[in-house]
Amino acid sequence: MNRSWTQRWPVGLAVLMVLLLGVSGCAGGGAARPTSWTGLVAVGDVLYVADLQQVQALNPADGESLWAFPADPKEENRGVFQATPAVDEEHVIVASQVPATGFFSQAKHVVWALDRDTGNLLWHFDGAAGPYVEGGAVGGGLFVIGCSDGNVYALDVQSGTLKWVFETRHRVWATPLVVSDTVYVGSMDHHLYALNLSGGTVRWDFEADGAFASAPVLRDGTLYVGAFDDRFYAIDADSGDERWHFDSENWFWGSPALYDDVVYMVDVNGNAYAVDAEAGEQVWHQSLGVKVRAGPAVAEDGSRLFVGSEDGTLYALDAVDGFVMWPSESEGQMLSTPVVDGSVVYELLINGPYRLRALHVDNGREIWAYPPVVED
Amino acid sequence: MFDFIAYPMANVILLLYNFLGQNTVVAITALTLLINLLVLPLTLQQQRSTYKMQELQPRLEKLQKKYAKDKERLAQEQMSLYKEAGINPMGGCLPLLIQLPIWFGLLGAIRYCIPSTPLELFRFSHHIYKWLPGVVGLVPLQSTFLGMDLGQPPNPVQWWSYALPVLVLITYWLQQKVMTPPTSSDDQSQAAMMNRQMQIMMPLMMMFFTLQYATGLSIYFIISSLIRIAQYFVVQGNRGGEQGKSKA
Repeated sequence: MNRSWTQRWPVGLAVLMVLLLGVSGCAGGGAARPTSWTGLVAVGDVLYVADLQQVQALNPADGESLWAFPADPKEENRGVFQATPAVDEEHVIVASQVPATGFFSQAKHVVWALDRDTGNLLWHFDGAAGPYVEGGAVGGGLFVIGCSDGNVYALDVQSGTLKWVFETRHRVWATPLVVSDTVYVGSMDHHLYALNLSGGTVRWDFEADGAFASAPVLRDGTLYVGAFDDRFYAIDADSGDERWHFDSENWFWGSPALYDDVVYMVDVNGNAYAVDAEAGEQVWHQSLGVKVRAGPAVAEDGSRLFVGSEDGTLYALDAVDGFVMWPSESEGQMLSTPVVDGSVVYELLINGPYRLRALHVDNGREIWAYPPVVED
Repeated sequence: MFDFIAYPMANVILLLYNFLGQNTVVAITALTLLINLLVLPLTLQQQRSTYKMQELQPRLEKLQKKYAKDKERLAQEQMSLYKEAGINPMGGCLPLLIQLPIWFGLLGAIRYCIPSTPLELFRFSHHIYKWLPGVVGLVPLQSTFLGMDLGQPPNPVQWWSYALPVLVLITYWLQQKVMTPPTSSDDQSQAAMMNRQMQIMMPLMMMFFTLQYATGLSIYFIISSLIRIAQYFVVQGNRGGEQGKSKA
């Protein structure tokens, strides 16, 4: 050993630490690197998409942009849009995270209400202390959304005024379900809450052995929802009593789909199930052997079930027996629930060349992809 | 990059969380104790090296005076002295090098157990050891401590969260102060100057590091430093007793 090495090892160690910080991917982060999946909703004859640096209204026939907010993100940075937009007759309501601008500044978490026809900004709300992961829901003149700060916020849909806040004991990463005068929302504190829409007071709460991270689905007085205790639940919507539960290998993260008397759900290990909605008895089970984050989507005629996987493959399963009818592969990750509209199924992707693809429900053939390829 | 350490560590946190009252800080503290136990042989070796360096101080000072004008000769004589005394000058570096992947693994483990993004949580969902008792359904762990979110870095909204990196700085500096052999302020040799610089630089770097990442990581560093300091005094106390007996 020579003198310079033995005396300079502390400096070398410091340099190594800085290098490791960089290599481990821990140091810093880009402005629009996805931390979650994006969301899409088809309403009327428009697709509304949270498209990272913008919210887009797209023509479902060809993916052409009808309007975008902000129009130019380089001129006007409104943050990263990932959560699924909520749409009513007049509004498109979205949430974004605006990154911090300095060492001691903090990121802002903003809800934006846009005019549904033009994309013009109507109001915004930035009172939350954490990021929004999933979108909100509109009902009874209110927009209700859960937040990573553990709160559920209810805003007046016309003005954006805060009407009430309900505090849970952990992050709220689920979209609420608003039905009539009740809000059903799950929290990572292992509770599914039924709240009065008018004031945010609790009607009942149901406790599971794991977190709730998805919106429940309501049918005939029963709520259907999965949790991180590897269980899927059917819960009485009036009382909060459990009707039945169904066990699997791993978490249920995405919302289920219902058609007729069958509930379709998928766990994160890619186990797709069809279960009788009344009794909770398994009808069929298909193990896809892939990682699945989102819930399934059912074709409008109930014949097919669509499941997106983390490796970018969209599977179409026969709804009768779970047989895989076709897979369609894409580059990127598919972590959002597919959306079916007529004869088209839309898949959202992150970390790939395309962020949205429209496919035929019959055979998975691509109709168009977004963003479009720009030809020289 | 360090997921091969982060995943097992995250599962250990889950197990501790389940058996220690479902308290995240207690689970991290218990994990810190376990890790320190694991690296105890290296820490003791480092401390023995420190004592030997302290014993050599008078002889080192004599060499510095003798070869004040000949740095190269001084370095050679110092190396001979270390060799004669059986001291490895790199001895202080090895425990730190081994702990670096542990730190990054722990950072990953905390991010998986108290995720701030859904993608992190989804990634971990496939690496939970479900055969461990009671871990199903635990993730994400309870994330608040004294009003701070343990899964988030210090931030102006929870302004008191900045106290944790400051405590990291203080406890790490104390640990260094206690465990590093003292050098005379008159000692202008490169080694002594480097030592003094590192005593300031390392705690500052640790504070900077913990300002960037989840506050849960600060808990680990604070507890770890306190354990090392306590360990030092226990070992020193035992050494004093043994030396007393041998003199007698």
